[in-house]
Amino acid sequence: MANRIQINKEFVDIMPQDYLDLVETGTFESPNRGWKDFGTATELIAEHSLCAGCPESIAFRHIMASIPNPEDTVMVGSTGCTSLVFPMIAVHNIHSLFGNQNAIATGLKRALAVRFPDRVKDVIVLAGDGATVDIGLDMTLQSWFRKERFTTICFDNELYANTGGQESGLMQKGFLAKMAPVGKRFDKVRLPEIARESGCDYVAIMTASKPSLVEKVIKQAVLIAREVGPTYIQIYTPCILEIGKQSMEGLQEMRTSEAPGERFKFREFISPEAQSFLDGLAEKKKAEKIAATT
Amino acid sequence: MYNVAEVNAEACVAQKGCRLCIMYCPEANCIQLDTQKMKAVIVESRCKGCELCVVVCDAAKHNAITMVAR
Repeated sequence: MANRIQINKEFVDIMPQDYLDLVETGTFESPNRGWKDFGTATELIAEHSLCAGCPESIAFRHIMASIPNPEDTVMVGSTGCTSLVFPMIAVHNIHSLFGNQNAIATGLKRALAVRFPDRVKDVIVLAGDGATVDIGLDMTLQSWFRKERFTTICFDNELYANTGGQESGLMQKGFLAKMAPVGKRFDKVRLPEIARESGCDYVAIMTASKPSLVEKVIKQAVLIAREVGPTYIQIYTPCILEIGKQSMEGLQEMRTSEAPGERFKFREFISPEAQSFLDGLAEKKKAEKIAATT
Repeated sequence: MYNVAEVNAEACVAQKGCRLCIMYCPEANCIQLDTQKMKAVIVESRCKGCELCVVVCDAAKHNAITMVAR
């Protein structure tokens, strides 16, 4: 099905240039999408309203460039800084009530399977740590227990950044925030481990400092969610304002926190079923490569 | 008055495959690759002036990006 993303000829003269660019040089239906399209192709995210230098927007760009089939993807967001970006992305998206995102994604995934039985439809949940771990933990966990096949991405900035810096479950122990002056008294919730035990087939914890790694993890997570079971990715996107950094220091902050022994050192868990699925994919790719060269 | 990034085309090494600033810019479609000259170009209307591109460019010792007032 080539060229499903087209523009109605009647409207070409009145549509804004950004829209025309997206249709003409966007990366819809490109089989090898990835961060390498940056700079030459129009990205699926436009002028967003996040702060200058916000690491979350770096992560957002990398994710939008990596999702395998954006034209058949629905993203579910939640309240927070991410909800400022969702109106500016060129992928179908739903803004849920705070914490409800995994419940909505469950219903959506089931409805899409009924409505489009012969088409692959991906559902991706993207929410902050407050929505995923504190307010929506019930919905998040229940969707994993039921083995719902969609990807959950958590943008972990370790506090409630949008409302001024309150303590969140994923905040590190002892951290002082603007609205949490006593310091956090208990440990960071170990959600990746909980996800693994709750039935996720693929779990990754990382930062957004390496586009190639983000691309690999997102692609794996979406493909596994399509065929095997629920997947969970936790990405560290520090809030530079709340931790007192300058706009250009976000990248270094991410690199520091993924050093060996630090809390965001890259870790992934792949269940045996997901591993055999990935091996199958790799073999298929190898066979295609050999067929292409001979 | 805004601070925006400016690329010095002579110092930019995008023709050798460097995409550091394009990769790490938090703004979408802000730093583009000029495919004719193979140099990075800044779309000034989208630049928020965060200086991340300057940081990554200087860290790689290319020193091709500076901040200018507009």
